[in-house]
Amino acid sequence: MKKVLRSVLVPLISIGLVGLIWQLVVVGFHVQSYVAPKPLDAVNAVFSNWGILWPLVLGTIRETVYGFLVGAVLGVVLGVVMAKIEIIRRLLYPLLVLSQAVPIIALASPLVLILGFSVAPKIVIVAWIVFFPVTVNVVDGLTHVDQDLLNLARVYGASSWRTFTQIELPAVSTPLFSGLKIGATYAVGGAIIAELVGSTGSSLAYYQEHASSNLQTAAVYGTTLVMTVIGIGWFLLVAGLEILLTPWQRRTTARRRRVASPSGSH
Amino acid sequence: MLVGKLGVVCAALLEIESIGKTFGATTVLAPTSLRVEEGSFVSIVGPSGCGKSTLFNIVAGLLSPDAGGEVTVSGTSILGRSGHVGYMLQKDLLVPWRTVEDNITMVARLTRRVTEEDRREAREIATRYGLGEFLSHYPKALSGGMRQRVAFMRTLVAHQPLLLLDEPFGALDAQTRLEMQSWLLDVWRETGRTVLFVTHDVDESIFLSDRIVVMSPRPGRVVADLTNPLARPRTLDILTDPRFIEMKSTILHLLHSRENS
Repeated sequence: MKKVLRSVLVPLISIGLVGLIWQLVVVGFHVQSYVAPKPLDAVNAVFSNWGILWPLVLGTIRETVYGFLVGAVLGVVLGVVMAKIEIIRRLLYPLLVLSQAVPIIALASPLVLILGFSVAPKIVIVAWIVFFPVTVNVVDGLTHVDQDLLNLARVYGASSWRTFTQIELPAVSTPLFSGLKIGATYAVGGAIIAELVGSTGSSLAYYQEHASSNLQTAAVYGTTLVMTVIGIGWFLLVAGLEILLTPWQRRTTARRRRVASPSGSH
Repeated sequence: MLVGKLGVVCAALLEIESIGKTFGATTVLAPTSLRVEEGSFVSIVGPSGCGKSTLFNIVAGLLSPDAGGEVTVSGTSILGRSGHVGYMLQKDLLVPWRTVEDNITMVARLTRRVTEEDRREAREIATRYGLGEFLSHYPKALSGGMRQRVAFMRTLVAHQPLLLLDEPFGALDAQTRLEMQSWLLDVWRETGRTVLFVTHDVDESIFLSDRIVVMSPRPGRVVADLTNPLARPRTLDILTDPRFIEMKSTILHLLHSRENS
């Protein structure tokens, strides 16, 4: 209980501190309200426009989640293929780096031309950002599995499929989740850039643009806060999934299995 | 065929015939022959680089030897074939994402579906050898000695008559190593397996083995095959037995004179 309190309370305190500094700067330096609002005004702008914001938030979440899932699956598959087949690794690695050297915003415009003003280019952009850290980490993890452990499997005549599912895949879980968490952090950013370039009106990025050109400063800052919360929420969800799926990282014992468990290997 | 202690004819479980290994221009292991009788405990001692691990890996099926040699278990060739020996290293090779119970059944999991019978056996063996309370623990919660015990249980439930142990206690502190050696002898006696044990610890080889095979540095070859005169069961008292000391000095002399030549 104490641990839970600490892991929730401490981040809340640091967020509170940022808000406090923000408040002090705005009040202390007499910053005009059209340049920067007080933090509570920004929060207020979110809640008073919630009816308009909510569907836009849902849209951004949808783009983020779909894009993330596509990117994660693509990242894992690509990582496994590249780790297993050296010629493919050599062929694709330069392209991989190339893909991330292209500025995302420069990628968004042609994608909108190709895919139109639908949700598709947004998903592609998010996936584009997410797959990279996943692939790099999976390749790294798979090529660094303990050779002695692989030899052990060989000595006992394990098939390569069982070696993969029972040893290599679980061994790669830590770097995999590192990649997924990096991807989760950047995913919302990708979705917003895509919205900026490729949406006709009903998007969070467009809402912010609109507020900005109308000097609704509190709404501009409020939207930034909302985007940040979506990003943090998605990161926490992925981090929570890691905790759930890799209990051996934190616990010293497994929850006891039912003695008459009919399940075999999985 | 050899005549064993009780006058029973003992068949060789493992037979190694002129197995050698060359890497490029370097001969790591000169053609070597060795037979290990069923139920016996044979140690290979030698300085590092004597090819003992190379020989070990050939028997395990991880490495193919130079042409012309043969390795058989119970008369069947196992050259380049896996799944015929139990195998344990200095590293415990427990997987951190499996509990003690699931690590013991790891070999079954690597080759087929794990059955309730496998789990029952794992629980039974862990309980018999004092790890029953730790069945649902992850390996990180265990001490080095306990982890090696689990690794050995994993080796036992693989149900191979021949166990290859490559310096299994090499990473443990002296006190734990002595405990583990006594424990290994107990388990060996109860389970009746055949053990080929690789070590560079002379004391360990004498304490454990029926026979001690001494190897020379590169190119590795057998320089002596000594029968241990010490009776079983053995306790730590034999470490000061005059025959133990004599055996030790013989082996040290063999190892040392080789180094100088």
